Amino acid sequence: MRRLYSSLVDGRGFDLCLIGVPLVFLLLLSGVPLAYNVVMSFQAVDMFSLGSFVRPWVGFDNYRQLIAQPEFWPIMGHTATFLIASIAGQFLIGFALALFFWVNFPGASWLRGLFLVSWVMPGLVVGAVWNWLLSGDFGVFNFVLHQLHIISGNVFWRSDPAFALWSVVIANIWLGTSFNMIMLSVGLSSIPADLYEAAELDGAGALFRFWTITLPMMRSTIGALISLGLIFTLQQFDLFAAITAGGPNNASNVAQYWAWDLSFKQYDFAKGAAISVIMIAVVMVASVYYVRSTRHEVRG
Amino acid sequence: MTTQIEFSGVNKHYGAYHALKDINLSIDQGSFVALVGPSGCGKSTLLRSLAGLEKITGGDISIAGEVVTKLPPRKRDVAMVFQSYALYPHMTVEENLTYSLRVHGVAKAERKKAAAEVATTTGLTGLLHRYPRELSGGQRQRVAMSRAIIRNPKAFLFDEPLSNLDAALRVHMRKEIRALHDRLGATSVYVTHDQIEAMTMADHVVVLRAGAIEQQGHPLDLYDKPANKFVAGFIGSPAMNFLPATVIEGGAVTIDLGAGPIGLSIPVAAPVGARILLGIRPEHLTLTAPGEGRFDAPVAFTESTGSTTFVTTATTPEMMVVETGRRMVASGDRVGLAFADTSVHVFDAETERRL
Repeated sequence: MRRLYSSLVDGRGFDLCLIGVPLVFLLLLSGVPLAYNVVMSFQAVDMFSLGSFVRPWVGFDNYRQLIAQPEFWPIMGHTATFLIASIAGQFLIGFALALFFWVNFPGASWLRGLFLVSWVMPGLVVGAVWNWLLSGDFGVFNFVLHQLHIISGNVFWRSDPAFALWSVVIANIWLGTSFNMIMLSVGLSSIPADLYEAAELDGAGALFRFWTITLPMMRSTIGALISLGLIFTLQQFDLFAAITAGGPNNASNVAQYWAWDLSFKQYDFAKGAAISVIMIAVVMVASVYYVRSTRHEVRG
Repeated sequence: MTTQIEFSGVNKHYGAYHALKDINLSIDQGSFVALVGPSGCGKSTLLRSLAGLEKITGGDISIAGEVVTKLPPRKRDVAMVFQSYALYPHMTVEENLTYSLRVHGVAKAERKKAAAEVATTTGLTGLLHRYPRELSGGQRQRVAMSRAIIRNPKAFLFDEPLSNLDAALRVHMRKEIRALHDRLGATSVYVTHDQIEAMTMADHVVVLRAGAIEQQGHPLDLYDKPANKFVAGFIGSPAMNFLPATVIEGGAVTIDLGAGPIGLSIPVAAPVGARILLGIRPEHLTLTAPGEGRFDAPVAFTESTGSTTFVTTATTPEMMVVETGRRMVASGDRVGLAFADTSVHVFDAETERRL
């Protein structure tokens, strides 16, 4: 009893227990499915062989067939557009808001907290709301653009192939901006105020201070945020399901939605797995960058 | 001497809190002025107001003849050394030093040359390509000073720059800062809560309390002729002993140290019956055999540093005696206390002003 107690107190046994629980959890619920998915992408899988792990090995056949499909490159292109536009939009608007709330006017922190509401909303609900906003004939979005004389006729955001992807991008920017804002606000507030005072006495104006103090001091936050943004954006499935369902004619289809479509609509599990493996590779790169940028925090 | 910095009727309010109360202070060009006082006395606020980092709510500040009250910090041409040093952590020492030159569009080659020059005078050569996190406390302190020097500003402001250093380094940096000031012929304003720093470094000491100037002048004048009880207690270490006394007939007073009244013949310029405070510095008291001093007192305890002995008496209020060398007195011994009339400071018990 004494030994057990002392091992709990000196932390030798206890730390292993603490690390063991999440490790087993991760291994069982993330590691195993991940490995299973990778293996499956190299096998021939159909509805009948779904239950057994031993299936014919086909090497890179699934990948080859996938790339040969006419919709492969357009969908990859849409995924890239979706990623870049979403991250850029979320980041820029989020940064602008973070700088705005940084001024710390009365009620700033309270108002900033309210912004998080958009982030805690389920994607499907956000999708439903944006469906209404973006609706072609009676949508508020069209009405506003019309009143501002930006458009003359109705734009059918969700069903026009030229706009379908952008309607999801707009909804996704709205959804992710507040998270970006909060992360950037934290980054901003961790910059010591006396650095700005020193820079001010050194003669630097507001813009020069932003470029030479704020941005470099935020480098790790920005790096972490962009890699997290990449991961979150590649996970974004609900908005596609709710707003366009990848249509019309794959005009707004992206890798993550296509993987689901292949696996669970067309029951082509092997190809669905292959897409997922490609995405895993991208996310891995982002994760490595995320870990590196959080490790390289600059603190005086 | 020309006046380099002038505060005239400066007031600062934070809402209802009156942080600076009608400050009038003029600082000669080339002088080293220390603002000293306990924490919360407004000394840092005064310095930050001079830098433009705090907006004053009344009065005017001028630097080199120009009223700067409404100018932003970057237009005031003063350099500041912060308590935290405020070095840019993402820049090398060289980049830290030359930041202000970069702001003003000085070419890169010239910036490097200027940094190298300053680095030689402050002993930073060889550290120019390090980052602040790779430097020791003393080195960071030097970088902060070099960053100020490189600009050749109208005034140097120091905000408790030595408080993050250990005691030995502090004593060393004190001399270094003063030597640097003399070499540059600069005007320096130095904020500190440490009266020893103020006394040893400054030409002119300004003692602040609760946002107002209590007394200003040459350091030794403050020591010899403190204007009130606060300054008397603040300047000098260990602090002055204060004995409550009452004036009686014939230029004499009585004091009560908890064991009945003791009569002392000290000429005091106060009416009979007035309640006063006698201030005697510990270093001006000497121990004698019982009965041979002005009065006797029991010893509470003694502390010795080897070179100096501090004796505390078991009286109310307790008194401190500083003796050079070692004195073998034990707790409970009775000793006599002697002092010269000229070393007694007399204050009004009510107003605490010098009489």
